[in-house]
Amino acid sequence: MNQRPNEIKIESHGDIILLDIRGDVTAFSEPFLNNAYNSAKESGPKKILLKFEETAYINSGGIAVLIQILAQTRRNNQKIGITGLSDHFKKVFNMVGITKLATIYPSLQDALNAMSAMS
Amino acid sequence: MSDLRLDHLRAEKTVLDDQTVELNLPSKIGYERIAIGGLAAFAKSVGFSSSRIEDLKTSVAEACINAMQHGNKGKPDARVLIAFRFQGDLLYVSVSDEGVGLKAEPKDPDIERILENLDPPVGFGVFLMKRLMDKVEFNRTSNHRHEVRMIMKLTG
Repeated sequence: MNQRPNEIKIESHGDIILLDIRGDVTAFSEPFLNNAYNSAKESGPKKILLKFEETAYINSGGIAVLIQILAQTRRNNQKIGITGLSDHFKKVFNMVGITKLATIYPSLQDALNAMSAMS
Repeated sequence: MSDLRLDHLRAEKTVLDDQTVELNLPSKIGYERIAIGGLAAFAKSVGFSSSRIEDLKTSVAEACINAMQHGNKGKPDARVLIAFRFQGDLLYVSVSDEGVGLKAEPKDPDIERILENLDPPVGFGVFLMKRLMDKVEFNRTSNHRHEVRMIMKLTG
């Protein structure tokens, strides 16, 4: 059963780059997420917001890919926000420690407001 | 829950009783979605909450992925067997593969060590299973399959 490629839209919101990630997040997502991050970082953003679909299926393979990207954002001194997750995956992200690297926001608007206010 | 016994559900059972459901999947990533869809419907029918069903789906998906990748090592003709039943107030789930099992349970992943490239980004599947289910055991069956057995208690 093949997963459909992730569609990832990249948008600017002031000094925040939003990666709007559609689809499930698994090991199969690696090239799509990496390509999107590499495109996003070309403009040298200090703030990146990852938005997921609430209905997305996310497994440990996808979590590993996300952590590898968050390792890059840490090296690049970028502030990372996450939004759009279901309550279940907010819990899972907290369990695996992603919340040490990124702040999870309850909504896109909350994320944009909070991250805009960051220096 | 030290009194939870998993011997109600055995992967080597060839004659299924009238309460056990069994799924037989190709060992291909993606097919775990079939298992978690069926199991979610079953869990809903016996009264589990949406939140606990999500925990169950993640746990079983991770067990299936481990079975496919590590147990069956991607062999095209290998199968993953999932069996589940609800008895009393307990949901029993077994996921088995044709592998030899773990030499030792993986240690909990440490995200800081992973970020520093001191550890590989592995172990999240078993970690999540242990935290989301009420009991998890790893066994070898009498028909030489590696088995993960899990229990979720119906509460509330």
